[in-house]
Amino acid sequence: MEKTLNQVLLHKNSRVGADYTLWKNGWGGQGLKNAMEHPADIISMIRDAGLLGLGGSGFPTHIKWQAIADQTNTEKYLICNGNEDEPGTFKDRVLLEETPFQVIEGATIAALACGINNVVFYINPNLKTCHEVMQSALAKWLTSEIHNHALQQGLNLKYTIVASSGHYIAGEETAAIESVEGKFPFPRGKEPRPTTSGVNGCPTLINNIETLCNAPHILRNGVQWYRDLGIGEANGTKIYCLSGDVLSPGVYELPMGTPLTELIFKYGQGMLVGKELKAVFTGGPSNTILTEKDLDVNLDFKSVSERRSSLGTGAMIVVSRGTGIVKRVAQYVDFFAAESCGQCPACKTGTYYMSQLLGEIDTGAGKKADLDSLVDLCNILPGGGRCHLLDGAVKVVDSSLYHFLDEYKEALSDDSN
Amino acid sequence: MTKNISYQEALANYKAVSDRPLPEVNYEGLLEKYHPDYFKDACVQLKIGANKGDICHIQLAEMLQTDARIDEADLAGAQVIETDILIIGGGGAGCAAALTAAETGARVLIATKLRLGDSNTVMAEGGVQVSIEKDDTPQQHYDDTLRSADRPVDKKLVAEMVMSAPDVIRWLIQQGMQFDLDEYGDLLTRKAGGTTAPRVVYFKDYTGLEMMRVLKEAVRSSEIEVLDYVPTVELLSDEDGHCTGAVLSSLEDNRYKLVKAKSVIIATGGIGRLHLNGFPTSNHFGATGDGLVLAYRLGAKLRDLDSFQYHPSGLAYPQHLSGTLITESVRSAGAYLLNAQGERFVDELQPRDKVAAAIMRECAEGRGVDAGNGIKGIWIDTPGLELNNPGIFDARFPKLIKIGKKSGLDPRKQPLLIYPTLHYQNGGVIIDKHGQTNIPGLYCVGEVSGGIHGRNRLMGNSLLEIISFGRRAGIHAAKYSPRKPFRKISIEHLSRLRRELMLADMPMDSKGPILFPAYAKFETDSDYSGLHKNKKSK
Amino acid sequence: MNQTTETLINATINGKSISAPEYLSVIQALWHAGYPRIKSVGCLEGVCGTCRVLVRRKNSQNITTELGCQVLIEEGMQVNFLAFPTPAQQHYKLEDIRNSWEVQDNFHTIFPEAENCRHCGGCDASCPKGISVEKGVVLADKGRFKEAGDLFTECVLCDLCQSACPENIAPNHVGIFSRRVTAYLHIRPSNLINRLERLRKGELKVVI
Repeated sequence: MEKTLNQVLLHKNSRVGADYTLWKNGWGGQGLKNAMEHPADIISMIRDAGLLGLGGSGFPTHIKWQAIADQTNTEKYLICNGNEDEPGTFKDRVLLEETPFQVIEGATIAALACGINNVVFYINPNLKTCHEVMQSALAKWLTSEIHNHALQQGLNLKYTIVASSGHYIAGEETAAIESVEGKFPFPRGKEPRPTTSGVNGCPTLINNIETLCNAPHILRNGVQWYRDLGIGEANGTKIYCLSGDVLSPGVYELPMGTPLTELIFKYGQGMLVGKELKAVFTGGPSNTILTEKDLDVNLDFKSVSERRSSLGTGAMIVVSRGTGIVKRVAQYVDFFAAESCGQCPACKTGTYYMSQLLGEIDTGAGKKADLDSLVDLCNILPGGGRCHLLDGAVKVVDSSLYHFLDEYKEALSDDSN
Repeated sequence: MTKNISYQEALANYKAVSDRPLPEVNYEGLLEKYHPDYFKDACVQLKIGANKGDICHIQLAEMLQTDARIDEADLAGAQVIETDILIIGGGGAGCAAALTAAETGARVLIATKLRLGDSNTVMAEGGVQVSIEKDDTPQQHYDDTLRSADRPVDKKLVAEMVMSAPDVIRWLIQQGMQFDLDEYGDLLTRKAGGTTAPRVVYFKDYTGLEMMRVLKEAVRSSEIEVLDYVPTVELLSDEDGHCTGAVLSSLEDNRYKLVKAKSVIIATGGIGRLHLNGFPTSNHFGATGDGLVLAYRLGAKLRDLDSFQYHPSGLAYPQHLSGTLITESVRSAGAYLLNAQGERFVDELQPRDKVAAAIMRECAEGRGVDAGNGIKGIWIDTPGLELNNPGIFDARFPKLIKIGKKSGLDPRKQPLLIYPTLHYQNGGVIIDKHGQTNIPGLYCVGEVSGGIHGRNRLMGNSLLEIISFGRRAGIHAAKYSPRKPFRKISIEHLSRLRRELMLADMPMDSKGPILFPAYAKFETDSDYSGLHKNKKSK
Repeated sequence: MNQTTETLINATINGKSISAPEYLSVIQALWHAGYPRIKSVGCLEGVCGTCRVLVRRKNSQNITTELGCQVLIEEGMQVNFLAFPTPAQQHYKLEDIRNSWEVQDNFHTIFPEAENCRHCGGCDASCPKGISVEKGVVLADKGRFKEAGDLFTECVLCDLCQSACPENIAPNHVGIFSRRVTAYLHIRPSNLINRLERLRKGELKVVI
């Protein structure tokens, strides 16, 4: 397709796997070179470029980096979060497997900007090929001239590849810290903040793989170039993960702010034969739903939030008529109930109870009282856990009730309104 | 009624003292004047059924003489379940019957209107009577029971029960139930009010809970089928007057289920939630006497329908706990009962009916405590007990401490306000030692049956009765049920019922069994659980 | 204590706005306001475990699981009844444990998940009776059944810990198993056994 697809992160220059030479001959290493010449400017460039957290938060990346840079400790950590365990999201694995040097370069730039000396590539153990490729790439990196040059400049980084526990919850920031320390990935709650006390009590930055991959390009081509890539007020590109009832599911790197309809009908080549679009689960199952009337939305954080939804990881799970929303939501909530780490009864028992109610309704055994309970739980539960798993589960249920209440009601076994 | 002393004033006057002598107590006429069994107009004569002409408590009579909830037409399209033995009620007696029946090889189904284990059994605190101390004998146990009963009982039933007691305890231990032991591993015993020797074995003040959770676990691990939330609305009969099963109404899918069984064992417990004479109750939510109604309709004979036990120590304050039981064992351990003036007024270990009546006398004559909102009572001197036995509450009465904690009262530091609470149905369906009623195929065990306690039950005899008779009924039903199931089941007995009601000019508009107390709004419920809101099934 | 005016509390129970006197429990408040409630009502004194509720107090992020008959309504409180069934996961017969040397082996067959406890503390946090549930599981896993069982004296089998366990252990049933096994194998009171012997030999009778 034309020039807007796979322009940067998934450009063929980036997708060279562990082939150092090919990568270097492309545009590999240029960003890091620029960064090393003006290390003090890195964070302001990231800020001006408007890079946001692409692992789901949409949080301005420079704020996190500055907070770490401001810490005076000599020992600091960067966790490159490749746990990616959310149904419908499969971009980080593509980046790890096909663009390992891009990942390493991005991580190195971040470390340089923040004064970090320990870089941890934190990868889901189920992504075996990603592990193999990253290990191979890292080995080459450590003997490369880029790395040597960095060493000579005083940038002495320690790189490790750590397998996460493989649990979904291991992708949560503070849980990742626990996991890197060799413990069960229990989210820690609000205190202590990773910025002040993360891995082994040291300031720790946690960034998503895709976020880090943008750094080399911003440093390579500059702020304005990056901003111009996006549509409207949005900046840069975004890797969207399209899945569900479309002809061509897959990863598509497109300008940030690409309209949903374009993603589905142009790049995804439209719905599977004979099916009409019913809904899109945005950002994966821990998020909200968009319907037909939202097909024109620009897929950037701000525009999506204006439609009572959020971009999240950029995963778009397309559901056609003929798919039961209740059943789908039940499956997602089952997933959350099974993945809840157990620390907070509100989350574990709350998600379990919701999945029971959804199961009853979906199998035709639900009564109005069950539906009312579900609605009530959406009011009571949010914020009751120390991480956001519970909130994510509630969001998707709440959103489905908002858009598809009729479908729920029709499934009830008793004839009341 | 003379005005009582306010709660604050009485509490301010209270002082914990280790020794309090008992003044002279006049028991003459106490029961007749104050015990609710003797209230004028408390009883009426039954107009229909096997006990026509007998006296019966007026609220109970109303219930026994209600019309049925169903008609033949309601059974069309109902799911039919076949089993060997149907047990109605999932408490201690029901589980004991189920376990022994299953052990004897029968197919068993427990149908309960709440969940397995929701019962009065689980709330029991005091313990189980068994004559195991050196100087105690089954004969003494028997004599104590008869004396406390204070009216004729079925002596054979009592004899059977007391003789079976040691084996009941052995069986319970083998089901996994723990009891409090001394340092040698022997069972500890305590005295019950009205007994001549200590013979109540117990597990702290959680005897019922310990028993019920063990039995529940045993049932869950067995082949016994359990249906929850299926109140029984009617028994099934046949043209020969046998009991052939029951009609269940599921609260889950609002549908009737017909259970065809070779034998039916009713173990539905008590009537506390009828709040007879307006009393609060210690009973659980489902204690509405359903089994009495069901059996009576089929023609079973009942006895002692005019007598109910009011447990002296029901918590009176705070309001949300009103009626909650404080075990008699607290008095067995030595706690005194004090009026608002701080004086004892009765021998605390007299039989329950006398103690309850004495409390009512104090409050009627102005020596009681008034806690506002209509709440009245007298003190149980728990701080005095703690003073004499430091640490006894932690060791023996953890449940009471928990109850106190939830209401901001520490029984070790301040006395608790108590007033008699409706506790136990002394009479019930007439049975033989195997639990058989006069209706072939129908057994009744536990609180729903009668003939053992007369007009006053001893602490510890109820937990004994449920297991003793439950086990025997289970074995008997499993061994002697007819080989083949009944072919023609019907609700023919309802025609007879309705004919009798009409000929006796009884109102036909109230339906029974009641199933749940009125304040649960079961009949008028809007969109939640209920019986058949829609006549047509979906 | 004379109360001439009752303070009315506003709370939300199962989504319904309730106004009821302050000394009522959640269940009583619901009935007081005229709403039906059958499910999740049992002994009404905290020993049958049926009235499990989710409680969120006003201005609090902390959501607790408690027994509804023991929770007094508070201003701004939100309550939801956890009315789902928890079917039995384990089926075992005590008679299959031939002697006390074999208990631990049997335990691991009946409760294979127990050794995977991840120490999340969720069971402790959800227990309305304040039982050290996790400790009980750990003790049972190590074969210390009497100690484990003693921790569960107050357990009412409400199953809140069962739904709170991410490893599907059913900790309350571990506790009850521990209690039962202790009684079944070790309680042999001589006073009871002597009495049983005398009865067996026909030495004691009741004369009617």
